Amino acid sequence: MPPKNKKKEPGFKFIKASGGIEEYRLESNNLRILTLQEHSAPVATFMVTYHVGSRNEAIGYTGATHLLEHLMFKGSKKFNKEKNTAIWSELQNVGAQINATTWNDRTNYFEVVPSEHLERAIAIEADRMRHAFLKDEDRQPEMTVVRNEFERGENSPFDVLDKNIWATAYQAHPYHHSTIGWRSDIENVSTKRLQEFYNMYYWPNNATATIIGDFEKKRALALIKKYFGVHPSSQHTIPEMYTEEPEQEGPRRIIVKRGGQTGIVGIGHKTPKGLNKDTYALQVLGKILTEGKVSRLYKRIVDPGLATSLFMYDFPFKDCGMFISYVFLTPETDHSSVEEIVLKEYRQIIKEGIKQKDLNRAKAQIKANVAFSRDGSYAVASALNEAIAIGDWTFYSTFMDHIIKVSRKDVQRAAEKYLTEDQSTTGWFVPQN
Amino acid sequence: MSNYFSEKIVVDEPQTGLSTFVMPTGAKDVITFAGSLLCGSLYSPKKNSEISSLVAGMLDKGTNNKDKFEVSDILESVGAEINFFNTAHHLQFTGYCLKNDLDTVLCLLAEQLREPLFWDEELSTLKKRLIGNLERTKEDTKKQALITLLRELYPPHHPNHALTTDKKIELVSSVSTKEIKALHKNIYGLGGFNFSAAGDVSPDTINHLLKEQFSGWKEGIKKPYQLDLKARPVKAKERRMPIPDKQSIDMYLGQAIGLDRQHKDYYPLRMAIYVLGGNFSARLMQTVRDDAGLTYGIGSSVLGTNFGSDGYWSTWATFAPALLEKGREMTQDQIKKWHNKGITKKELDAKKTTITGTYQVGLDSTGGLAGRILSNAEQGEKTEHLDEYPEIIKNISLEMVNKTIKKYIKPKELTFVAAGTFAD
Repeated sequence: MPPKNKKKEPGFKFIKASGGIEEYRLESNNLRILTLQEHSAPVATFMVTYHVGSRNEAIGYTGATHLLEHLMFKGSKKFNKEKNTAIWSELQNVGAQINATTWNDRTNYFEVVPSEHLERAIAIEADRMRHAFLKDEDRQPEMTVVRNEFERGENSPFDVLDKNIWATAYQAHPYHHSTIGWRSDIENVSTKRLQEFYNMYYWPNNATATIIGDFEKKRALALIKKYFGVHPSSQHTIPEMYTEEPEQEGPRRIIVKRGGQTGIVGIGHKTPKGLNKDTYALQVLGKILTEGKVSRLYKRIVDPGLATSLFMYDFPFKDCGMFISYVFLTPETDHSSVEEIVLKEYRQIIKEGIKQKDLNRAKAQIKANVAFSRDGSYAVASALNEAIAIGDWTFYSTFMDHIIKVSRKDVQRAAEKYLTEDQSTTGWFVPQN
Repeated sequence: MSNYFSEKIVVDEPQTGLSTFVMPTGAKDVITFAGSLLCGSLYSPKKNSEISSLVAGMLDKGTNNKDKFEVSDILESVGAEINFFNTAHHLQFTGYCLKNDLDTVLCLLAEQLREPLFWDEELSTLKKRLIGNLERTKEDTKKQALITLLRELYPPHHPNHALTTDKKIELVSSVSTKEIKALHKNIYGLGGFNFSAAGDVSPDTINHLLKEQFSGWKEGIKKPYQLDLKARPVKAKERRMPIPDKQSIDMYLGQAIGLDRQHKDYYPLRMAIYVLGGNFSARLMQTVRDDAGLTYGIGSSVLGTNFGSDGYWSTWATFAPALLEKGREMTQDQIKKWHNKGITKKELDAKKTTITGTYQVGLDSTGGLAGRILSNAEQGEKTEHLDEYPEIIKNISLEMVNKTIKKYIKPKELTFVAAGTFAD
């Protein structure tokens, strides 16, 4: 920990530091700021993460968070086409990588810029935080853009199956619908509804601004104060999403039949909230099952040619998540035999546990992943963004410390607790030729 | 920034026929590397261009001393990866590891390249998986549209030609272990072997390791394949590939341009096409997407220009079936406008600063660096070229750009290809 006086910045309150990252609050409006200086390349990443995602949507306006994210590029008070200062051209013309993403628990806007243009990125994000246009004449053409994004997703059998598995596993909780939303909601949500959404959630006290890379901290914080300090905090309390998923009382199953060539099997099991301590053991378990060519499922399924590939994911979310294994079948392989092999491996781990060698390998893989998640300012921002989303950014900086402590028993116990039949949702994509 | 690369990249030749390009950066503990040998599909026997891709696919299936699980275990127990790819010209590999594991990983890489184990049983399961992947590409609207476009523009055996998916499946099915062994024996070796690395890495360590590991390896192919084929004289063809149950159609409008990247008109033409469809603030995204809302994505680029190949330019976009014709029409209108009036000085100046800035932003991570350095080396360019590139871009004049549009682009002769489920 550097001496306390190093962290005193006028107008900011220092909160904490972890893994080289420092957290501040802008005192005038409670905007959270994270900084990580790294000067190996003349590049900096600026990112604003809003604590709103598709979990804050409901029937009739699914996909609204994402559609709003698109409209945020259509112009704001100072940055717009009329003034010849459109957001894309202002940033792309200096070589910046610029984009935004929306997911279950957050929406983030980011710019990877040559260091000397950091101020421009900060000015743009600050302006659109409270002064985005959000016009109806912009929503009309952007709706069809987003609809085409939806349609492109629908072209992919995997995307379709994944959506169906989540929609089957989660019935009450808004993770039921995917972030892109349902087609009819994309088409019909009103501009007024999007504006209400913006005015509810896009406030400094519901956002985290992150600066990573080649910048001078004192100056960067001064810029944050200059541009974001003009906004007050919201007058209203940011609403909490309170819907909880009822307990699942038996296995669920979904079959998707569509034009296609080869089958897919997906097996999902509900997992706890991302900040639950079992998350670390589940991350290790996922590696042991599917990461690399000596992983248990790869050896049983892909290596003998029953499938072309497989993978699993278990993204830690703010609320409960899902541990899902996906297997992409070779043409002659039937769904049920592969499903049985996956479940047999699960049962074996529950019954017999894992070998120390497998645990060591999984930890080594995670260690390398963590090291590469620090390779470049954008890589850090991207990983940090997900930790911000689940409610504790130190999840990113302390992740490896927790992984190191995971024992063989922890992994076996997590498998026993979560990979149970009654908590499962199994999906098949069955191609129709 | 003017000598950024040439000052930081250490170039060496630890073995004759093996060139190294190593760039230490401020990254901590991580190293990414990339490399290539002249062993791609063009060096397969003419009767079956897929043999080389099966050689590449078998490189991680064991060596003379280690079975495939031992190979994977060595990498995975230290969280490292090595992946092999087959392209028209090259066997390429990429990899990453932590600094302390570099020795282990490079020793294994050398063993995989020099002494692969080509077992019949492994080949059989690899073919099964490859065929499964190929079957899956039949439902991929973008891939099928591109294959169709390249088949229209280029004759068989041209590096830019593409086989149909069914033909590929047929060729993959027929490859034997004997053919794989023979190809590996004949063309793998030192010669056109380039290796790049970036990150927390010492050039001396890399060069010492590679010298040790590749000492005494036989000679392979030294110079890139010399092209003796040209694009077809195709004009305004139209092809539609029906694929059932798709909600978005992939469309290409394309044309061979008859020049490679060494040609003096290459960069001015590339700049012209960048203004048309190189990024979000380019004309096509601003009009067809941002103003009209017809597509999620549209872009334009020049491709297939390496190693003397006469490349092509294409515009790619996705549309809902009901919006395909409207989208196509608007795209073609934009191309016509761009062709008739050229680009403006303001657009050229903006894109020049974009490219210079993009270059700087590309230094952010080691992954991109290793690939960029390798690609430069494969083209036979010196590392100075990486620094000169922004200067080349800065020196392009408006006149040069607009002249190349008129000279190479023929809007009335564009080939149209679309794949997906078409509206009635």
